[in-house]
Amino acid sequence: MLTSLPGSSVVVDYLGDQAIERDMAVACFYFDFASREAQTPTNMLGSLLKQLLGGLGVIPAEIVRKFRGQKKVIGGRRLQLPDIVKLCAAITSFQRTFICVDALDECVPRHRLEVLDAFGQILQNSPSTRMFITGRSHIRGVVERGLGERTISMSICNGICLMFSLLYLPDVGCFLFRFYNSSAALFTLYFPYLL
Amino acid sequence: MSRVFTENVNSFNVSNNIFFTATDDESKILAWLSPLEAHVRHEDICELRVESIGNWLLETKEFRSWYSGSENGGSDRTALFCYGDPGVGKSYIWYERLSVRNEGHKFVDKSPW
Repeated sequence: MLTSLPGSSVVVDYLGDQAIERDMAVACFYFDFASREAQTPTNMLGSLLKQLLGGLGVIPAEIVRKFRGQKKVIGGRRLQLPDIVKLCAAITSFQRTFICVDALDECVPRHRLEVLDAFGQILQNSPSTRMFITGRSHIRGVVERGLGERTISMSICNGICLMFSLLYLPDVGCFLFRFYNSSAALFTLYFPYLL
Repeated sequence: MSRVFTENVNSFNVSNNIFFTATDDESKILAWLSPLEAHVRHEDICELRVESIGNWLLETKEFRSWYSGSENGGSDRTALFCYGDPGVGKSYIWYERLSVRNEGHKFVDKSPW
């Protein structure tokens, strides 16, 4: 049933629609506790870099050089996190970029700090880049400390509560109406002399 | 931004060029950068999870200000963190309502209303 629902993050879809019309790039990442072993900071940031390069259509010479260089090492070697972060910051400086990260709370705590530090460096070096992060309330402090003054925090719960109450508004209205009617009836019954 | 395309894809003559195309190696290089495929997750998981955030988020002043950026009269705060605790029951009801609502319809409707 649920899989028949329209897909994906509202924000990612919205930004994706905007990106088609405007010159901007969107990269996204979804943390998942079940994949925590594979979702290391290097792989995560590497995935963002990969998406940004895919949108760019060309590959910086530095990456090509490093790719060819690592082949000489037995078994190969991946790009290191500081290099990936620098490249992300450099590429995001070329065009307006949005990075969306879902469920940061599902990233293991020791990785989370590294990931937030990397995000902070990207935002520091590429001021036009925007980052959208979701997560459970308990990581709010870590996120705000990690990203500093540049963070706006917003509770999703309020929105859902609002939607929840709106969904039931007709019922609430009905209940109040019934209550009013019965009260009026009782009022008339017990205090007829006041009317 | 200057995009440089060279016919000789294996050339290392990049002295004045920032970018370089390597069509033969491109997919290998991208795979080397990370084994993770974000778009698989996007299609797979997000359908179930982030729908609960809802379109209302796009209309909030926080989102608009973050999206616009300081150069367009918005905020210079570049990171928007949305937090909440799913599992308290609200999201479930939300999904249930959506499911029931969509049950009788063949079309796919993004709006919950």
